[in-house]
Amino acid sequence: MSARGISLVAGRREGVLDILFQGNFWEGVLDILYIYGLSGLWTHALRKRRETRNVAGVELFNIDLDIAYHWVLTWMSLQIPGIGVLSSEAPQHMHFKYTLNDLRKNPGVNIALLVVLVFSAFLMASGAMVMERTLGSVNALFDQAKPPHFLQMHKGAYDKAALDAFATAHPEIDSWLIEDMVGYDSAVLAWARPGTTESGTLSKSLIDNLFVTQNTAFDFLLDADSTIAYPADGETFVPVAYQQRFGLQAGDELRIRTDVGIESFVIAGFVRDSQMASSLSSATRFLVSDADFERLHTSGGSPEIIVEYRLADPAQTSNFQAAYESDQSLPKNGQAVTGDMIRIINAISDGLVAIALMFVSLLLIAIALLNVRFVIRGRLQDEVHQIGAMKAIGLPNSTISGLYLSKYSAMTLIACVIGGGLAIVASRALTSGMQASYATAPVTALTFLAPIAALVLVFLVVIAICRHVLRLINRIEVVGALVHGSTLNERQTARRGKRLARRVRRSAFTSYRGGDLGRRISLVDLRSEAGQWMLLPLVFLLAVVLITLPTNLLTTFQSPKFVTYMGAPESDLRIDLQFSDDLEQVREDADTAFATDSRLAQVHRFANELVETRGDEGWESMRVEVGDYSGNTIQYLRGGPPSAGEISLSVLNADRYGVDVDDEFTVRRDGSEVTLTVNGVYQDITSGGQTAKMAGDATGIVTGYIYYATTAAGQDPTVIATDYGDRFPAATVVPMREYVSQTLSYVTSAFFNAALLAIVFAIGVAALITTLNLTLRLAREKRRSGILSALGFSGSELAAQLRFKAILTVVIGTMIGVAVAATLGEALVGAAISLAGLGISNLAFIPNPLLVYVAYPLLLMAVGTISAVAVSSRLRRGDTSAWLRA
Amino acid sequence: MTLSEAPSTSPALVTTALVTTALEKSYHSTEPPTRVLNGIDLAVRQGEFLAVMGASGSGKSTLLYCISGMDRPTAGHVRLGDLDLTELSERDMSHTRLTKMGFIFQQAYFLSNFNLRDNILLPALKAQPKARAEVEARVDAMLERFGIAHVADHGITQVSGGQLQRASICRALATKPAVLFADEPTGALNSSMTLEVMDALTGVHRDGTTIMMVTHDPACAVRADRVVYLRDGLLVDERDLGAWQQADTSRREDELLSWLRDHDF
Ligand SMILES: Nc1ncnc2c1ncn2[C@@H]1O[C@H](COP(=O)(O)OP(=O)(O)OP(=O)(O)O)[C@@H](O)[C@H]1O
Ligand SMILES: [Mg+2]
Repeated sequence: MSARGISLVAGRREGVLDILFQGNFWEGVLDILYIYGLSGLWTHALRKRRETRNVAGVELFNIDLDIAYHWVLTWMSLQIPGIGVLSSEAPQHMHFKYTLNDLRKNPGVNIALLVVLVFSAFLMASGAMVMERTLGSVNALFDQAKPPHFLQMHKGAYDKAALDAFATAHPEIDSWLIEDMVGYDSAVLAWARPGTTESGTLSKSLIDNLFVTQNTAFDFLLDADSTIAYPADGETFVPVAYQQRFGLQAGDELRIRTDVGIESFVIAGFVRDSQMASSLSSATRFLVSDADFERLHTSGGSPEIIVEYRLADPAQTSNFQAAYESDQSLPKNGQAVTGDMIRIINAISDGLVAIALMFVSLLLIAIALLNVRFVIRGRLQDEVHQIGAMKAIGLPNSTISGLYLSKYSAMTLIACVIGGGLAIVASRALTSGMQASYATAPVTALTFLAPIAALVLVFLVVIAICRHVLRLINRIEVVGALVHGSTLNERQTARRGKRLARRVRRSAFTSYRGGDLGRRISLVDLRSEAGQWMLLPLVFLLAVVLITLPTNLLTTFQSPKFVTYMGAPESDLRIDLQFSDDLEQVREDADTAFATDSRLAQVHRFANELVETRGDEGWESMRVEVGDYSGNTIQYLRGGPPSAGEISLSVLNADRYGVDVDDEFTVRRDGSEVTLTVNGVYQDITSGGQTAKMAGDATGIVTGYIYYATTAAGQDPTVIATDYGDRFPAATVVPMREYVSQTLSYVTSAFFNAALLAIVFAIGVAALITTLNLTLRLAREKRRSGILSALGFSGSELAAQLRFKAILTVVIGTMIGVAVAATLGEALVGAAISLAGLGISNLAFIPNPLLVYVAYPLLLMAVGTISAVAVSSRLRRGDTSAWLRA
Repeated sequence: MTLSEAPSTSPALVTTALVTTALEKSYHSTEPPTRVLNGIDLAVRQGEFLAVMGASGSGKSTLLYCISGMDRPTAGHVRLGDLDLTELSERDMSHTRLTKMGFIFQQAYFLSNFNLRDNILLPALKAQPKARAEVEARVDAMLERFGIAHVADHGITQVSGGQLQRASICRALATKPAVLFADEPTGALNSSMTLEVMDALTGVHRDGTTIMMVTHDPACAVRADRVVYLRDGLLVDERDLGAWQQADTSRREDELLSWLRDHDF
């Protein structure tokens, strides 16, 4: 384009040189990038051809990714005005001396802008990559492990013939199996590292430990290489979740204290469990050999089964579930799980990290764009004389804006290059943990398209904003620019003058009664230049939202109150009596024990009863919690707890049966139909979110009991839990807080990472933008500083004024941010969560107010203050004459 | 503030408002460093109106900046009354500038977010934050005196250059300074505005204010009691003109012009 045209001009006016050589600098950078892109394309393509023969998925993936990356680089560099110079007299135009001059003139601004752009590109690309890899990983695991489409857990005796009959009657079943399992309590499991003194127990785990043999048809347990694991006698494969949690290694010894003595296994490896990868299913499987399984089976473990089905058409799962549940003869006293639930839960734990990354990067992009806008506008204002001069000699607007655009688009391109490169490295690190839990995702076109599309998106959006801001150049008038140094035209100038005159008419000191004069004039400046001071509060507003939301989600999921989303009342202890032959006897013992225990303040017992309701396919089973709800603290979305003749349903059940509060609902208990009134709808994420509550005593098939107990003041729930755990081996006694944290550990650890990431980036960006913005302000306020200093304001007083303005705007932005995060933020995140279909339709944050509404804002304000102090200290020297001469 | 140990009993020193001894200034930002002031020895008497003349680039502005602490001299001393200014901290120097010095620049340096009167009030209020009523009365009287009271609440882009420069004088005087510095106060004005401003300055001088003014314009310099000539950072000559009377303006002007011609001005 312009290079030849401008060199005509270059000699005429010194100012024009400035821009010209900046343009050339960036053109030079572009040329280098272009060459880099092309050469990378060439070398990587060669390497790819060489290595295609010894196919190794991950290696090839990297090369492919690099090739795609270089290809996009080349393409993007071609999009930038100025690259055309390459074809003509490019080398003569690379004036590196002037390049250095430009950098020396505004190094801070250029670098800071670049860093923000790099952050944005990096997060956007890695968010896309992690997302793609996660989904890919989960899908790959599913392909190899072939999880069931529907499974039903069951404890105790069952009718095998009924299962056979059901299978023959349902041709939609592709295959099915009964998996025998034997459960051992975590308390009897221990590990030791041979040759060292390292050892420990697994008793901290509240999850059921089920020992199984490898399945033969489907639902395979896969080892680290995604192959189906077959332990030899004396070996075991341990769940990956335990490997991570207890730091286990292959070769360690696993000991089980059975009724007949210690069974000892060598840990041969770790297995990924597709259906139980998420601990929301509160059980996990250990793999042992057939012979070992037989021995464990007869040495005191509690037997359990899972009936599993794969269907010809997975879309039919819910119909199939209804059919299964409507058959009374089938075993069903445990949890039923569908493939969709498994998939959602698996995707959500790591998927949330990806979503959080994308969310963080979107906010960062917003910040980067705001920043680009402010920087460019400031730049145009500073260089308005040169722009006027170029217009005066007749250069078209497009040429002039091309000069600026080439610089900023080159900068964005460099940011995309660096950010994309960093994302490749980072996403490898981020996904390595995930690849351990799931399978290595196959490389598909999407693998490259996702991050590249994200980068291209960043690039295009930034360029669009640049173009938009640069349209200002079209409106600049030669006379206004050259004579008044103003970007405004005559009418705008007049209007602005009038506005200013109106504002200054009233004295700024009318109400002044002594006190800090510097603050007074700072306030007047802020009011008059509000537009130019907008960036800081906006950035801090976004930063607050950025760090508050993930943390609020985290504390919500970690809160003891979160159990109210799990359909349980707030309490200190939860005691589970699972189905066994002497269930009623155990219950009676437990009742007496709890009633006479002064350490417990309140105990509520609920029975898990299976009733039937009318579904699409006739009668089907539904789990109901039956008991006394009068003193209950569970939160109801609509309505309240059930009393006699009433039922309350979970959100998902209410949706499934299409009923709401005050509707009639018919159930069949113990063979007789009862019509109840729906009295309440509550949120529940346990048992697939499909539960119900009824008042009174259980009259039908009871599958277990749950006690919720609150402890007396000063009692430690953990101690009581251990005590009862020993006294009632058949019961699972857990402190509520731990129960919540363990069942949700996958999700919460994901949120923790997201929250940490958000804080790090928010602080970095806040510090960066504050520094950048204040540096720009300082440069533009030189004249003002000079005047005030000449009048007798000391350097430290000027510094205090800048600090005052900065801190005031930062505080205002932060405050508004807190308000926005608390109101809009909750609605936003709540909507996203309810879409996920977890059984929560109305998420109310349970924030840690001290943390998010006091500590975080203080932290951000401190960051703003420190940056302001750092920048303002440059005013200390009081360079009066230099400021005045500026 | 550092009190100098200067003997205050000497009658010659009592009437000296400002003394510079061997004042030097070099800028190190250039290669080789630029030596702008080469050892200036200058004494300004109490109540004197001193004009500083010299070619462009000879260091006149730099001299004013170094004396007033807006620039740090490389070597030498500046003494204002009993104070050694070169030994003051930046903060004390600023305070001295606020309470003892007034400035008038060639360009009118005003804050655009304040009206004319607020700009004038600003340094005075800073010097006496508790005495707003007194300060306002003083400033309003000055606005009347210099004929700009009717534009007092105008924005600074809504008044003429002469009015703006008279406002500069008001602002400089509002703190009742010991010395008034003026760097080409009429440099940007046409001849009628120049006359307005010089009349104002002469009036101020009559009231007893010490003035040190840099100017290129012999018609302005002629109003001074004494003219010094600066060349390449050195004071090369000075000329006592005696007290200015309206009547003998043209004689003084001829005298001054021939003196300047001797210096190739
Ligand atoms: N920051 C600086 N760095 C280097 N040299 C400087 C700097 N400021 C001024 N100078 C040089 O000092 C010399 C004197 O400058 P000064 O402004 O004092 O001259 P002046 O006598 O006021 O000229 P004029 O009549 O044009 O106002 C000039 O040659 C100028 O180039
Ligand atoms: Mg000068």
